[in-house]
Amino acid sequence: MKLGKVIGKVTLSRQVDSFTGGRWLVVQPMNREALAGKGQPTEPSLVCYDNLGAGAGNIIGYVEGREAAQPFEQDTPIDAFNALIVDTINYMPPKK
Amino acid sequence: MMLCRVDGNVTATVKHASATGWRFVICQPITADGAELGSPTIAIDPLGAGLHSRVMVTTDGKYATELLKCRKTPVRNSIIGIIDS
Repeated sequence: MKLGKVIGKVTLSRQVDSFTGGRWLVVQPMNREALAGKGQPTEPSLVCYDNLGAGAGNIIGYVEGREAAQPFEQDTPIDAFNALIVDTINYMPPKK
Repeated sequence: MMLCRVDGNVTATVKHASATGWRFVICQPITADGAELGSPTIAIDPLGAGLHSRVMVTTDGKYATELLKCRKTPVRNSIIGIIDS
């Protein structure tokens, strides 16, 4: 699972049936600098399926790969799935 | 399997039902000499790893389904060992 910040959403007029009930978020993956509250994003943003109800500005934990499709009943073409909406982050890397 | 350092934790009220009751820690992949490699990932922590401890993290999703006792969990990363030396 990786942490990312929700920066927008995507709406579709037609989609694969198994996606019904969810929505799509544009997510900016967070690197070390972003977790520490500074720095610029270095990775491209991605689109993530969400059925928890995250909104713009939320930090979410998303899963990529095979596990993203696992929560669905049938085989589903999906790359990223929102698994949790973060309440608090305690990020304390050791001081150099 | 990844060698990681525990750099913190996250809390979440709203999450996939299978993850209820589990602790989520921020794992920073590192090299053997402690240099940081890439972005941190989130793993479930069944062992209770402390802050800045070095841990072994598996990306085996099948193991996570057994650990969480849920076939449909999206969780993939889990801590499988705390490194002494």
